[in-house]
Amino acid sequence: MFDLSSTTAKVVFGLALLFIGFFLFFPLYWLVISSLKANAELYQIIPTPVPMAPNLGHFIGAITGGKLPMYLLNSLITSGASATLVSVLAIYAGYSFAKYKYFGRQPVMLFMLSAQMFPFGLLLISIYPMMSSLNLLDTQLGLILSYIVFALPVSTYMLYSYFAQVPDELIDAARADGASDLRIFHTIVIPISIPPIVTVFLYSFMWSWNDLLYSMTLIVSDDKRTIGPGLLLTYLNEVNSDWGGAMAASLMASAPIVVTFMFLQRFFIQGVTAGAVK
Amino acid sequence: MAAIDTTLSDYPVSAVANRRGLKAGQSRVGLLMLLPAAIAFGAVILYPFLQALGLSLFQYTVEMMSPRWTGLSNFGKLLSDPAVWASFATTAIYVTLTTTGTLVLGLGWALLMNQPFKGRAVLRSLSLLPWVLPSTVSAFIWGWIFNSRYGVLNALLLQLGLIQAPQAWLSTPQGAMLAVVLTKIWLSIPLFMAFFLAGLQNLDREQIDAARVDGAGNWSILRDHILPHLRPVLIIVVVLGVIGNLQQFDTIYALTGGGPVRATAVLSVEVYRRAFEQWDIGIASAIGVLWVATLLPPAFLYLRMLVKGNG
Repeated sequence: MFDLSSTTAKVVFGLALLFIGFFLFFPLYWLVISSLKANAELYQIIPTPVPMAPNLGHFIGAITGGKLPMYLLNSLITSGASATLVSVLAIYAGYSFAKYKYFGRQPVMLFMLSAQMFPFGLLLISIYPMMSSLNLLDTQLGLILSYIVFALPVSTYMLYSYFAQVPDELIDAARADGASDLRIFHTIVIPISIPPIVTVFLYSFMWSWNDLLYSMTLIVSDDKRTIGPGLLLTYLNEVNSDWGGAMAASLMASAPIVVTFMFLQRFFIQGVTAGAVK
Repeated sequence: MAAIDTTLSDYPVSAVANRRGLKAGQSRVGLLMLLPAAIAFGAVILYPFLQALGLSLFQYTVEMMSPRWTGLSNFGKLLSDPAVWASFATTAIYVTLTTTGTLVLGLGWALLMNQPFKGRAVLRSLSLLPWVLPSTVSAFIWGWIFNSRYGVLNALLLQLGLIQAPQAWLSTPQGAMLAVVLTKIWLSIPLFMAFFLAGLQNLDREQIDAARVDGAGNWSILRDHILPHLRPVLIIVVVLGVIGNLQQFDTIYALTGGGPVRATAVLSVEVYRRAFEQWDIGIASAIGVLWVATLLPPAFLYLRMLVKGNG
């Protein structure tokens, strides 16, 4: 794109790369490095750039002493269930918007999408008493249902933009053979739509996995807590701050989502930027 | 991708109707497929939204059994409450700084990542990481960097001779704001980059090569070709960025809790505090209504662009 043959261009390019690169990657480097330092080395005014004696003490401490495994499991259950629910709802709704004509289709879809601007914090004010009256406060089911808020609108839109590109001929041909609409959708359309469906699942999963607000408000018991508030309450409470443990636990809490994301990032980015870039 | 989309919707209505065999039975199947999502949407998104809007007209605090109608008096209270005005100002500063910062750095990084060089693919993938980390984790990372006693930021500035003594960043209003703003910029750069890179993909390279032959330098290529080409993406990124930044809660709450005192209490934090710390639901909802009002302009722009995009 740019011509980097001149020295000036090379210098500007190099400096920009260094500056933004440092801003992006140094915090991640520091996270990893700090998790590997023993407390004696961690708490120094001028820190060591590389751990002198790397050790896994904080990791072992987080796994054996803390409640991290329990928080991780809780997050896995609530995020997994909610992502499944959102995906199923969005698959049918997205296909309905893409392939059927009925009165009010476009406005309904836009209205659903505009729900993105309903602040999650404001919705929570009403979701809280709602869950309370349904006896779902402080339950995983309540949290799973509330998590629909985060991703349903965008997921529906992402699948709508994908399904809109599925050729009508494909569907018409199957219709001519006498297959029912639902059967066509299940046996022909869904099998060719696995990548966007996985994307939507991951998108929704990520929102729930990364949530702090809903979980810390709707869940009270420690044994149902997810990693967001779990980490916060364990490592940075009013009594003490265990930064080494916080860094190690952070890495373990991020690992599942980071690994999954790295495998699927291409589809993911296509899905998220869909509609915005023509 | 987009091309197929537009050609489909460009067909005259009658042709579409014929091709799709618009029988009553089929549109019924379509509505049936929409039904589960519509019910879920209504129950957990639309109904709570409308209810919260409605609650702004009631007095409803923790010691009351049920809400009591007070009309617009909550809003009257808000207007004379300096904390609410302060929250709006804080939000404006936060949203402006985060959106501008992310825009500049995200665009810069996308342009760098668009340039062919060794190791680019790996760097590109790695630079998505801040985006996928749980918000508590991002807050931990930056809280540790900004730590008043052992933070690496203090160490770095001390070594460079820029400060004489360690600063308690998170205990000062400006320091706390800096921390929450940098955290948000850091975690939004990847998303902005992804949008810009997608936009750069269909840039007309021949046009650029031709301009280069005519003697255009890097700066003029950027100003006359790349930026005009990215204009639509720029707009959508700014709009989405503003919507996202206006709604940001998790990292701010985890880093500063809205403090010191209320220095970083943006609207999301203010609503949370009023609702779930002071249990003053009426006032919290009223602030929420004003919060929604700030979201309306960017949301309207966003929807308009989507409608245009869909033909």
